[in-house]
Amino acid sequence: MKTIIGLCSALAFGLTQASQAADLRVYTYDSFVSEWGPGPQLEQAFEAQCGCDLEYVAVEDGVSILNRLRIEGENNKADVILGIDDGLSVDTRATGLIEPHGLSISPLRQELAWQDDSFVPFDFGYFAFIYDSSKISQPVTSLRALIESDASVIYQDPRTSTPGQGLMMWVKAVYGDEAPAAWQQLSRHTVTVTKGWWEAYSLFLAGDADYVLSYNTSPAYHVVAENKTQYRAAPFSEGHVAQIELAAITSTSQNKDLGRDFLQFLVSPQAQAIIPVTNWMLPVIDNVELPPVFGELISPQRIGFSAEEAGASRQQWLREWRSSAAQ
Amino acid sequence: MLAAGMLALGFSLAVTVLAFYGLIGFDSSGTESRLDTRLLSDGYFHSVVWFSIKQAGLSALLALVLAWPVARALYYSPGLWLRQSFLSLCVLSFVMPTLILITGLVALLGRQGLISPWLGQDWNLYGLPGILIAHVYLNLPFAIRVQLLQLQHIPDSSWKLAAQLKLGAWQRLRLIEWPALRAGMLQLFGFVFVLCFNSFAVVLALGGGPRATTLEVAIYQSLKYDFNIPEALTLAWTQLLIAGSLFLLLNRLGGNQWLGVDSTQQHWTPKPGAAMQRLHRLLYATAALALLLPLLALVPGVLQVNLARFDWLAIARPAFITLLIAAIAGTGALLLAYATLLPSRFARTEGRNTLALLCDWLSTHALVAPAMVVSVGLYILLLPRLDLDHWGMLFVVLLNMVLILPYAVQQLRPRLLQFDRQYERLVRSLKLGFQERLRIEWPYMRRACITSFALMLLLAMGDVAIFSIFGTSDWTTLPWLIYGYAGTYRMGEASVASLLLLLICALVVWLFQHFEKGQQDA
Repeated sequence: MKTIIGLCSALAFGLTQASQAADLRVYTYDSFVSEWGPGPQLEQAFEAQCGCDLEYVAVEDGVSILNRLRIEGENNKADVILGIDDGLSVDTRATGLIEPHGLSISPLRQELAWQDDSFVPFDFGYFAFIYDSSKISQPVTSLRALIESDASVIYQDPRTSTPGQGLMMWVKAVYGDEAPAAWQQLSRHTVTVTKGWWEAYSLFLAGDADYVLSYNTSPAYHVVAENKTQYRAAPFSEGHVAQIELAAITSTSQNKDLGRDFLQFLVSPQAQAIIPVTNWMLPVIDNVELPPVFGELISPQRIGFSAEEAGASRQQWLREWRSSAAQ
Repeated sequence: MLAAGMLALGFSLAVTVLAFYGLIGFDSSGTESRLDTRLLSDGYFHSVVWFSIKQAGLSALLALVLAWPVARALYYSPGLWLRQSFLSLCVLSFVMPTLILITGLVALLGRQGLISPWLGQDWNLYGLPGILIAHVYLNLPFAIRVQLLQLQHIPDSSWKLAAQLKLGAWQRLRLIEWPALRAGMLQLFGFVFVLCFNSFAVVLALGGGPRATTLEVAIYQSLKYDFNIPEALTLAWTQLLIAGSLFLLLNRLGGNQWLGVDSTQQHWTPKPGAAMQRLHRLLYATAALALLLPLLALVPGVLQVNLARFDWLAIARPAFITLLIAAIAGTGALLLAYATLLPSRFARTEGRNTLALLCDWLSTHALVAPAMVVSVGLYILLLPRLDLDHWGMLFVVLLNMVLILPYAVQQLRPRLLQFDRQYERLVRSLKLGFQERLRIEWPYMRRACITSFALMLLLAMGDVAIFSIFGTSDWTTLPWLIYGYAGTYRMGEASVASLLLLLICALVVWLFQHFEKGQQDA
């Protein structure tokens, strides 16, 4: 009973307490700030460095950060947004609420080929199909081979998830105008298309498909956290599409200097050692000390489209997918 | 008193209207078009509408038809083993958080499912079969309970007359049972149809691809990545129009199925022959097994987790918060339901039946309003005006309350109308005030209130959709935590937390069954 009363009063308190302005407000997504995500450790490390107060405002996922900015407009409370991916960068810039950071960011990994005056990458990964090597000894070696095979596949809906959009670009990059036929062929051995990443991945772990669309970093989680080595990413000869997660400072921020410090901190060796083992993505700088399994992950050739190209054709590609995969 | 009722009705209506206003009023592009009329001639739109109707119609039909023999078995054999527990299991199935159901169904019927090897080479859960199975699982138990209640309304005198007239089995079915079910069947069909028509999580998880897209899913998709408000609005109006008019029509056609004497205690039913009794037992056992299997299929997944190392503290707080939010929302929904029913009761006693019907529809309209539109619309409206990072939890409670209101209304209405039929004249002629009136109503309503409260609690406990928009990470609920675990590779933890949520739900059902039994014995 005491606990209930305590919780009740805490709820009442939480609802009524005056908002205490933090020095730096960061809009991000929920899993980033969960106790096992990178958020808490990064907050502690950065606060120790700046002697300031950092506060996360978490929304459901990356695209919700953008939607929140769209709704709030100039009245947003963010100094920094963290967790938009490169696919959303064009739309985010179009809100006019993002400002060039004016920093000289220390050299990032070459494969990123990153050139942007506003967004700073803080982690990245390659989309990849994961399989269970205890069940499949000879995995497919290319996207074409996968699509032409009869292996069961689960992937995510490009209308609701970033991996789904990644696969859409991947197929487009490999097949070009032949993409509709490829989607039709894939749909014949697709088990299901899920709303988001975890639905697909948990179905795969339950044994419902031979291959699931995820990231090349997924095997690292199983090794580090569960000591399981059977899950592998299949390297594809055509190359892989990357997803790069980004942070930026807002033009409405009252504390831009601190925001710049935070962006700089995100690409520091200290932060880059925290992010991969909590967010399960790759670091954006070289020479970060990580568990050995990160050295064994596939490091594919990067293919795909620029954010601008993808932004311009996304609607048409979606319609293409929608009509061909439905057959 | 009537004013309070109008106010409550106005409040629940205002939430929906404000939400639509929020969406319509939001203008990011500066264009004037509020509706995307081009969509109406798009083949994709037609296939979405058609699929929504098809899957909902099939789901409702299957649930009703399959429920019927089980309801009969329960009716004719009051002595079935664990009968009361089975009826509780029915409540649990109806309110089962979809996330848990989906996990259970995959563990049972997926490619590596426990019983999939017996289903043949071509078996595939994903697609229409998966959607139908999940919808039937959620709604069949509800249909069983409703049909059983309707059968129990058959007066003893009908059976005695049937015995005197020596009616055969077929004649009894046609002349006595069917008339008792018929009126309620249409309403039941309408209700289940609307629930399935607005289905979201099940369709997204088990649909199998873009073929299986319902309107609710399409609304989500247009709001999520494209932030295409005109398209979302067009879809939302379509959904409101189809589900709303169907619901209104069936409510009207359905008549007043509750206007019988409420008797959960049976007095006299014909005793079926030995063969029939065996069939009833078989049907009963099959139904019980079908409801239990997806739950039992969850257990192996949980056993793989190292329970000794599991961080129980991490889920204790979210579990408390879930219960707390559900309790507040449930209480609120009951009070609101009582108040919103006042205008319709008043109209009915005045003999203004069309007005009463309209009031009924308004008080349950949240059932047909697209939930996604209501929450996103309010979010858009409120975000620039209010500090939602601080007030968000208030809206989690408030919106949960509004969305479960229709269920509370449906639970309380039959009993209140019955009260009115029996006592309204007396209450009026005695010129009783509001307080005195409540004092008379309470003993009559107490049982209905408490059982409805249990249902409200269960319904609100499963929410993730509202929390995903308004919730704050300091107040994570148990269902949201499950998503959090699953979203970061922690499938094992997710299954333990799911099982805990399920156990809490079961505990609530058990307590409520215990209470109900106590009331019956008293």
